[in-house]
Amino acid sequence: MDARSKIDPVTFSVIWGGLVSASAEMGITLTRTAYSSAVREGTDFSTGMFDADGNMVSQGDYSPGHLGSMAFTVKKMLEYYPADTLEEGDAVICNDPGIGSGHLPDVFMVSPIFFEKTLIGYAVNIAHQIDIGGSGAGSQVVHGVLDNYQEGIRFLPTKLYHRGEPDETIFRIIGANVRVPEVIGDIRAQYIANQAGATRMQALAKAYGIPVLRQSMRELIERSAEQMRAAIRQLKQGTYHFEDYLDDVGPDTEPVFAKVAVTIADGHVTVDWTGSGPQREAGLNAYLAYTNAYSLASVKSITLPLLPQNAGVISTISTTAPVGCFFNPRRPAPCGGRATVSHRIYETIMGALAQAAPDKVIAANSHFFNPNIGIADPRNDRMSIVWESIIGGVGARYGADGVEALASPWNGTNMPAELQEINCPILVEKLEVIEDSAGAGKWRGGCGMRKDMRMLAPNGNFYNLGDRHKFTPYGLEGGKPGKLGATILNPGSKDEKPLHSKGNYRLTDGDVVSWRTAGAGGYGNPLERDPEAVLKDVASGFVSVEGARVDYGVVVSGKPLAIDADATAKLRKERELAEVAS
Amino acid sequence: MALYAGIDVGGTFTDFALMDDVTGEIRLGKTLTSADDPSRAVLEGLATVVRQAGREPSELAHVVHATTIATNTVIQRRGATTALLTTQGFRDVLLIGRQRRFELYDNTIGKPATLIPRELCFEAEERLFWDGSVHVPLNEDSVRDAARRMREAGVATVAVCFLHSYLNPEHERRAAEVIVEAAPDLVVTLSSDVSPVYREYERASTTALNAYVIPAVNEYIGRVEDGLDDLRGNRTLFIMQSNGGIASGEQVRRNAIRIIESGPAAGVLTAARYTKAAGTDDILSFDMGGTTAKVCLIEDGKPSLTGSYEVDTINLKKNSGLPLNIPAIDLVEIGSGGGSIASVEMGAIHVGPQSAGSSPGPICYGLGGDRPTVTDANLVLGYLNPDYFLGGEMKLDLEAARAGIEEHIAKPLNISVMEAAWGIIEVVTTQMAQAARAISIGKGRDPRNFAVVPFGGAGPLHGAHLCRLLGGNRLVFPKGAGVESAIGLLQADPAFDLARTSMLRIEPSTLPAINALFEDLHKQAALDLEACGVPGERIFQASCDMRFVGQGYEITVDLPEGPYGPDDIDKLRRAFLTAYAAGYGERSFDPDAEIEGVLWRISATIKGKRIAVPELLKGDGSGAKAVKGERLAYFGEWAEARPCKVYDRYSFAAEDEIKGPAIIEERESTIVLPPDSAARMDADGNVVATV
Repeated sequence: MDARSKIDPVTFSVIWGGLVSASAEMGITLTRTAYSSAVREGTDFSTGMFDADGNMVSQGDYSPGHLGSMAFTVKKMLEYYPADTLEEGDAVICNDPGIGSGHLPDVFMVSPIFFEKTLIGYAVNIAHQIDIGGSGAGSQVVHGVLDNYQEGIRFLPTKLYHRGEPDETIFRIIGANVRVPEVIGDIRAQYIANQAGATRMQALAKAYGIPVLRQSMRELIERSAEQMRAAIRQLKQGTYHFEDYLDDVGPDTEPVFAKVAVTIADGHVTVDWTGSGPQREAGLNAYLAYTNAYSLASVKSITLPLLPQNAGVISTISTTAPVGCFFNPRRPAPCGGRATVSHRIYETIMGALAQAAPDKVIAANSHFFNPNIGIADPRNDRMSIVWESIIGGVGARYGADGVEALASPWNGTNMPAELQEINCPILVEKLEVIEDSAGAGKWRGGCGMRKDMRMLAPNGNFYNLGDRHKFTPYGLEGGKPGKLGATILNPGSKDEKPLHSKGNYRLTDGDVVSWRTAGAGGYGNPLERDPEAVLKDVASGFVSVEGARVDYGVVVSGKPLAIDADATAKLRKERELAEVAS
Repeated sequence: MALYAGIDVGGTFTDFALMDDVTGEIRLGKTLTSADDPSRAVLEGLATVVRQAGREPSELAHVVHATTIATNTVIQRRGATTALLTTQGFRDVLLIGRQRRFELYDNTIGKPATLIPRELCFEAEERLFWDGSVHVPLNEDSVRDAARRMREAGVATVAVCFLHSYLNPEHERRAAEVIVEAAPDLVVTLSSDVSPVYREYERASTTALNAYVIPAVNEYIGRVEDGLDDLRGNRTLFIMQSNGGIASGEQVRRNAIRIIESGPAAGVLTAARYTKAAGTDDILSFDMGGTTAKVCLIEDGKPSLTGSYEVDTINLKKNSGLPLNIPAIDLVEIGSGGGSIASVEMGAIHVGPQSAGSSPGPICYGLGGDRPTVTDANLVLGYLNPDYFLGGEMKLDLEAARAGIEEHIAKPLNISVMEAAWGIIEVVTTQMAQAARAISIGKGRDPRNFAVVPFGGAGPLHGAHLCRLLGGNRLVFPKGAGVESAIGLLQADPAFDLARTSMLRIEPSTLPAINALFEDLHKQAALDLEACGVPGERIFQASCDMRFVGQGYEITVDLPEGPYGPDDIDKLRRAFLTAYAAGYGERSFDPDAEIEGVLWRISATIKGKRIAVPELLKGDGSGAKAVKGERLAYFGEWAEARPCKVYDRYSFAAEDEIKGPAIIEERESTIVLPPDSAARMDADGNVVATV
């Protein structure tokens, strides 16, 4: 044990557990009291506990984008509200993209925690508000948005609660600037959630005294950093490069180049985005806090994925990018749709880390859609927002196929069709995995996902948000990339037409939007895949008979389906020779 | 005079409790579970315990059984070949699920294998709108075609789940008729019967689980009924359901999934019987065994129910298993048990979720375990008696436990063995307190107001400690904690919890719809009760999951008896606002906001006759006669171990009062009373403690 420590290990153990569980209790409270579908069904929020100096000591297991950027928020808030200006029951909100988690819908709330009149820490949560104003419903419009002022109402750190009393003036301002009233209910729920966290920390202060609590929090951070440094030292040291692209930033725009150099040295990982493309005039730029958040997620997932996250863990990973780069834009770069960049940040780093730890990484994921449709509901004459998350499969890894239909690297849930149809004038016509979409490999990637939705009312304003319609999700170690994604309007009809992954469209009554995510990347040479596994995929409809032949060199025929061993051996031999030749 | 029998099948033992309905005399029995066919141990053990009591099997009037058959069928994936029939476009509903990661950063996680392979998921051409009205009429040929393909594929049982069928079951019902015409041997489960509740994935999962376990459960119940028939010439059998109520074998055959939590429900139900002893109707049931601990809130004397839980989870993590949305006792299970392994990470003590189980077991069992466990810590601290574990059947190796804790915990942390052992107990008990707090906060309740009722092999060791950590002060240690569940079964009542989703605002215009809904549910529940053929008063309680309009989660609120008129609107609103304020504070909401009901429920039960249990005789009140001796024990607030009195549970007299620190030994378990606590024996033989 740490020789410097004056805290007995039992107390330390209990306080650690108590802080982690405080963050979890805040999350339970927020889910139970929130209003919007983003928070309640999509669990698009995060929680954390901080010490009195503004260092993060624990987090709930929610969204990596929030969790990684949360770490720096309290200190920045303190620049506006020094500790001696805070009182019990106060709460400060902020949704500035640079201070917070990179776009306006994410509203942070910071509540100071007092015990016997002494400041002992902060409870913090972030909730993705379903709308924060701006040019389009859901406030995540990409195309045609030139700066952050078009994206909604912005709060630099602003005290919303004074000694437990809400500032109704500010609430009125918020209410006047957002499209749906749920936002007010969600912000009130954020306050209740922070109170739940405060109560737990106060109980720890009461049980062990403030000095012991303070010292434990400090040591928790220090020891976590040591643990991470040790894990990083286990990796193959060096600098690793990788490149990938985002399709573009809207119709008729150029791709975004993502270039990263990951240096693993001396117990520290540095992620450098120098050489990546410049910031763009579209609501997609990734502010540094957000870039950093997913850098953290990727490094953590190959080192100590289960270690509770705090300031110590975060201190072992640093992110640099030239100012003005797409991954570190200058204000007021627009950023509403930046969630779609999370995958590219994570995957570009993962590609580099594959060179250091090939057995711990995953190939590129499917990518997800996170579109919004604002549409007036004729059933109740209210504005409704279809908040979507269409999630595909996970990339393959050494020793295992990618998982079907699972969020990665971010975390969220899909929307039940029955609920969506109650809440919005739409009909979900299809939700299924896509045959032959997965990247082939010795271990194949997860399949892409298709969701079809029909409008049941006119004048829907549709803001698409997706990617991988042009650049495929990569495979690793000889694994093939997944098939491209697409967005199709009115599939199968004479009006069928492809839509852009980040376009804005007006939909009319009866229109069907069909989202198809890309398939995830494979791992290892597909010609080495066990033919029995291919046969099983054919039987289940993940791979077609034709796909088995083309992608895996496996000949499946007959009824019931069986492997033609001779034909397979012959075909695989030919394919190997052809590959050698090329 | 007749005999009542309670039979609880556990992983290791099958427990029996036999009671005479006139004298109230109880006899207990235990036999090893016959894992290959649990009905064998059930029937043979029952005959044995009856004969040991000097009675005849023909005297058995009432047999209640808690079984793990449904759970095991799912966990071991031993169910029949099952198919799914769902709405066109949704064949992947089970495969996709809700897609949430249960571990954020761990890229090695997967999802539990679905019960139905993708090739056996079929689509019917049909579609309902959000309000249950028909968009696309049912194409019967599409159903017939699917049924034919199911028959060809050797399917035995099929789950039918159509979108919005919870509001309009007509398409599902017609599809069932068509399937049975086309494939008469197929057993059909409809989602609108099993779980008329919204969210299609959860409902489809519930329906699939029911379809999957029906054949196995039917076969098992048939075997037990036949055996009872042979034994006593009468096949009446009651099965404990997940909601804590019993149902007839016939009813369970149709709704097999209702018994998936049969065993744990029996335990909680027993804890709920101690409200009188606790002096409060709010109880925290705390069942701690070898590998896990289960916590449940009992409010107003009733175990709280949940409409959504999971089976076959990975490491007991939320969102990692197969969800079910039928009412079940709301248990939180965490990986903290007597066999949980302690380790040092980052200078802190961690306990579990890895468990040494019963094999190799804790170090002190001497069966090859070499990692220190919670049980080893309890032994080192002086709480467990090395010579009286399981009534002396098993000797514990104190020295080995001490050496193990020293090597793995004390040395790395540079603390004494006692401090290390105390740390293990403090950490594991804190974990359980956190789980208890999470479940009460999730329900909007304050955990401090609950009396703790600990049972299971390890529950009484940790109960007082847990109660303190929760900020509570009252506990009841029931008699016979080791076979608690079997005793609980003796007096279980039939109970049915029916629920249906329908989004209705609380306002005069919706009252006819609300009244009609409740009338329907009431009628169905009354039929279910009648089918049990048990005498007694019928009790119905209406409740509703309510929320502010626009909110996504509801709280369950008991409602006054209907039908409701316009004057009752205020009463209905107030019921919700009071419950909301109790959970989240008076100021957390706008009292004039609109309120809606989402899930409408009826709980129906029959209050059976209560058989009086013989009372303990009074003694001199000191408990002196029960003192067995003294041994050194350690508590965190002390600098070193000190002598503590050790009592024999079976030698107490009613109204004996003792002070902590103290240790009370019984065959199946040990009660630890910390310093500055007190306990009293009540006339029923319970230890009632204040901490």
